[in-house]
Amino acid sequence: MSTIHLQNLVKKFGDFTALQTMDLAIADGEFMALLGPSGCGKSTTMNMIAGMEEPTSGKILFGERDMAGVPMGRRGVGFVFQNYAIFTHMSVRQNLAYGPKMRGAPKAEIDRRVGAIAEMLQLTPLLDRKADRLSVNILQRVAIGRSAIMEPAIFLLDEPLSNVDAAFRAVMRTELKQLQRQFRQTMVYVTHDQLEAMTMADRIAVMDHGVLQQVGTPLEVYNNPANVFVARFIGAPGMNLLKGWLAESDRGLVVDLGPLGATPPLPVEIADAASRMRGEVFYGFRPEQVTLAESGRGLCMPVSFVERIGARTIIHLGDGETAVKAVFDNDVGLAIGQTAVVAPAAEAVRVFDAATGLALRAG
Amino acid sequence: MQASKAASVLPDEGARLGFRLTLPAQILVLFIAVFPLLMQLYISLTDWSPLSGTGWWNAWSMWNSFANYTDLAADARFWSALKRTAIVMIVCVPAEFLLGLALATLFADEFPGKRIFYSILLMPMMVVPAVAGYMFFMLFQSGGPVNDILSAMSGFPVTIAWLSDPTLALIAVMVADIWQWTPLMFLILLAGLVGVPEDQIKAATLLGANPWQRFVTIVLPKMKTIIIIALAIRVIENFKIFDTLYIMTGGGPGVATETISVYIYKLTTQDLIWGYVAAIALAILIVLSIAAVFAMKRMARVREVAA
Repeated sequence: MSTIHLQNLVKKFGDFTALQTMDLAIADGEFMALLGPSGCGKSTTMNMIAGMEEPTSGKILFGERDMAGVPMGRRGVGFVFQNYAIFTHMSVRQNLAYGPKMRGAPKAEIDRRVGAIAEMLQLTPLLDRKADRLSVNILQRVAIGRSAIMEPAIFLLDEPLSNVDAAFRAVMRTELKQLQRQFRQTMVYVTHDQLEAMTMADRIAVMDHGVLQQVGTPLEVYNNPANVFVARFIGAPGMNLLKGWLAESDRGLVVDLGPLGATPPLPVEIADAASRMRGEVFYGFRPEQVTLAESGRGLCMPVSFVERIGARTIIHLGDGETAVKAVFDNDVGLAIGQTAVVAPAAEAVRVFDAATGLALRAG
Repeated sequence: MQASKAASVLPDEGARLGFRLTLPAQILVLFIAVFPLLMQLYISLTDWSPLSGTGWWNAWSMWNSFANYTDLAADARFWSALKRTAIVMIVCVPAEFLLGLALATLFADEFPGKRIFYSILLMPMMVVPAVAGYMFFMLFQSGGPVNDILSAMSGFPVTIAWLSDPTLALIAVMVADIWQWTPLMFLILLAGLVGVPEDQIKAATLLGANPWQRFVTIVLPKMKTIIIIALAIRVIENFKIFDTLYIMTGGGPGVATETISVYIYKLTTQDLIWGYVAAIALAILIVLSIAAVFAMKRMARVREVAA
C-alpha cells in the first residue's frame, strides 16, 4: 500500500505536449479513476507511473520515495493491460507463478503463493487450464492475480473493460470493485467510460488535452463541475449549456438568454460570485433536473426529437446554439414539433464564465 | 417413393459426374507427379545408361534386380558424400539460425539507418547462387581479398590456399552458404519476432523478468512455429547444396567437398550410369520424405497447441 504524488508532471513528445503540469495526490488504498476522451493524457500519466515512460519534467513519488530512474520491473507496481496481456502459451498456474519465478523464489514458496492467490480469486479449478481459451472475466482475474501475487503497493488498470461487451461489463465492474476491497490497494484506473469511473472510483480525475480539469468524488464532479468541459463530459447526456449575459432584474440577477428570454433569478451563492464579473456566461443545468412548467415559468422551446429508451425519455429541444436536452422518467407525451416549457430546478443551476469556462462559485 | 429414390441417387450421380469431368485433370496431375517417380524406380532396377543404345523403356533387358541398391549400400564414396552433406548441414543451419535470430533481435528495435542496413542485409539472398559461387571463388584465392585482409591484420603475408586444402575448402564452402542464407533466416525470424505481442513482453518486464528471461519465457515460445518452419526450409535446402559449392570447388580438392548433389551430378554427367543415379536419388527422396513428414507432423502439433 502506498500513496502516489504527482508533482508538476509534464510529458512532451517532440513538440507535442501530452501532459501539462499535472499535480495529483492519490491516497493510500484509494481507487482513483483517470477519466477523459482519447488523447487527453490519461494513458501517458499511467505509463509514467508504471515507469514505461520517463516524465519530461516533474516528480512521481510513491509514499516518500522518488521514482525517477527506477525501472518498471522494480517499482512494485501491478499493471492490468487493456487486453490483459495474459501469456497465452502458458497455463493459468504458470501465469500466476511468473513473477515470483522470475525473481527466483523457491519452488515451495511459489506453490504456496499461487495456491493462496488462486483460492482468493476462485481460480483453483482452472489452474492447469491453458490460458488461451478462457472467458474474459477469468482473464481479468488471472491478470489481476498475476500482478497481485507480487504484492504490489499500487495497481494500475488500463481500460480493462474496453474489450468487453456491454452486457458483461456490469458483471466485470462489480467483480473488479470487490477485488479492490479485498486487496485494499491503491488503484489507478484509466478509462474513457464515465460509467465505469462513476460506479467504481472513490475519486475521479477528469482530464482533457493533457490538462487535469477536476478532481473529486463521482458526485462532486457530476453535481459541481469545475468547468464547461467537465460539465459536458460527465453525465449522459452532458449538462445543458446555454450562452447568455448576466443582467439585473427586479427579482435579482438573471441570465439573459436572448431569444429564449431571461432565466429565473440565480441562486444567491451564484449571484454573489457572478456579481464580480461581467460579460458572457453559460447557463447550465443537468437534463435530469428539469421539470415541465407552465408557460412563462421556464424556457419555451420547440421539440426537435424524442428518444424513448425504456426507463427514460430524452426530449431534444431547440437546435444549434440553443439546444437543450431534458430527461424524464416516463413518457411525457411530447411529440416532434410541439412546444414545451421546461424549467430547471433552482438548486441545479450552474453558471460558467464563457471567457474562461470556469464555474462561478461562492467564495 | 420414387421421389425418395431420386433423392438418394442424385448426390451419387452428381459425384460421379464430377469425377468424370475432373478425370482429365486428375490423370494429368497423376502423370506429372507419379510418372517420373515410376520411371525412376523402373530405371533404378536396371543397368540402363544413355549409352546403351536403346530407349529407357527397353531397360528391362538390362534388369539387375536390386543390384544398384546393394551397390549403394557398399559405396564408400556415397556414404562419405552423405556424411559431408550432414556435416555441412549441422554447421550451416544452426549458424544461419543463430546469426539470423541475433540480427532479427537487433532489428526488432529502432536504430538510425535501420532501413539501409535492412536492405543491405537482404542482398546476399538475392544474388544468383552461381554468381555467389564466383564471388567466393575469387575471395578465397591464395592472392585474394580474404588473405589480403588476414595479412593486413596479422602484419605478415598470408597465402593460405583455401580452396586446395581439404578442410579449408569445406570451411570456405560453408562460409559462402552461411553468407547467402542467413538473410533468409533473418527475414523469417524477424517476421516471427515482430509478431510477438508487445504488451506480453511489457507485462513480463513489469513482473520483474530481465531481458534474457523475457526472451526465453515469452519470445522463444511465441516463435516456436516459425522457428520450426525456418529450420525445416533451411534443412531441406541445405541438403541439396550444389551451385555455389560446385563453382567454388567442383567438389574438390579430390572429393573433399563432394556433397550428395555433387556426387549425383558427377555420376550423371561423367559416369553416365543412370540406373545407379536413379537408385541414389530415390533412396534420398525416401529419407528426405520421412524427415519432412516428421517435421510437418510436429508443426501441425505445435499449431494445434498454439491455436
